Amino acid sequence: MSIAMTGQISLEQAKSLVVFLESGQQAEADAVIAEIQNPINSELFAEIGKLTRQLHDSLTNFQLDSRLNDLATADIPDAKERLNYVITRTEEAANKTMDAVEAIFPVVETISEQVATVNPSWTKLMNNELDLKEFKSLCLDIDILLKNTGKETKTIHSLMTDVLMAQDFQDLTGQVIRKVIDLVREVEDSLINMLTAFGISAEKVQEQSLPKVGENLVEGPIVNAENRDDVVEDQDDVDDLLSSLGF
Amino acid sequence: MKVLVVDDFSTMRRIVKNLLRDLGFTNISEADDGSTALPMLQGGDFDFVVTDWNMPGMQGIDLLKAIRADASLSHIPVLLITAEAKKEQIVMAAQAGVNGYIVKPFTAATLKTKLDKIFERLA
Repeated sequence: MSIAMTGQISLEQAKSLVVFLESGQQAEADAVIAEIQNPINSELFAEIGKLTRQLHDSLTNFQLDSRLNDLATADIPDAKERLNYVITRTEEAANKTMDAVEAIFPVVETISEQVATVNPSWTKLMNNELDLKEFKSLCLDIDILLKNTGKETKTIHSLMTDVLMAQDFQDLTGQVIRKVIDLVREVEDSLINMLTAFGISAEKVQEQSLPKVGENLVEGPIVNAENRDDVVEDQDDVDDLLSSLGF
Repeated sequence: MKVLVVDDFSTMRRIVKNLLRDLGFTNISEADDGSTALPMLQGGDFDFVVTDWNMPGMQGIDLLKAIRADASLSHIPVLLITAEAKKEQIVMAAQAGVNGYIVKPFTAATLKTKLDKIFERLA
């Protein structure tokens, strides 16, 4: 391209175009036009190519961003709700079970007291040591015991059914927790993808992470005690440790 | 004997209360963390404290330290029932003057053994 040319067409090109058109040389005139347009076209194509690539990248990123956005604004709040549901259901189940058990305790206590009342006279009867008056009294006690036991076993049976039914939380909470695990896995994958996109190796990050502990080293239940040597595995370990400290 | 059961989960308090009742302790009060428990202890004549470790507000280990630091409470035996299982934490509790340490999940038999041991030592 000539140094004199600062615009998109030079004076020589314009002059030659006029000459060709005046002399009726249409093909030559068209060639000049093509020559003028050519550099613009190649720059335009390069620019369009660049824009297309950028658009493609933006769309790809947008897909990733919109999923992350969904995760943050919809899926994770939903997961929190799901986990709260698990807390509610397990708490309900624990309370239902304890309601039933606490109702059974006094019933069993009463039966056991009535058995204790009958027992001495019954032993005497078995040893042929019971007189008629004692026998009559024993019969009355046994009558109470039988009637009460008959009635209370029905109560116990119904309460035990309540305990049984309270265990249905396991199925429901299991399904909910499984969904949350899937979500956690997806978030994990997304984050690893992002780290990879930024050129950070996920493995390197993993190596550096340590279990998060709070004040006084609180961590809550240890779920992988067998893989760790800083925790006890059971009560025997606790007792051994304490006795080694002179307890 | 007056017992204070401290745990932030009402279901765990209920379990411990039932087990204690079964072992003959009938005078049982409840608190949901150390900061609720401490004024109750200072205001009442409690003979025994069963506490969780990890609670919002004041943790069980800090409640234990506060009890040992208060001349009017320091004699009260404290049993920790907790999911905290780091050796360092057990040592920490021992140094703070805990009378017994039970890791969750636990059994009724474990609770009975530990209680027997605590009161045998105090007798």
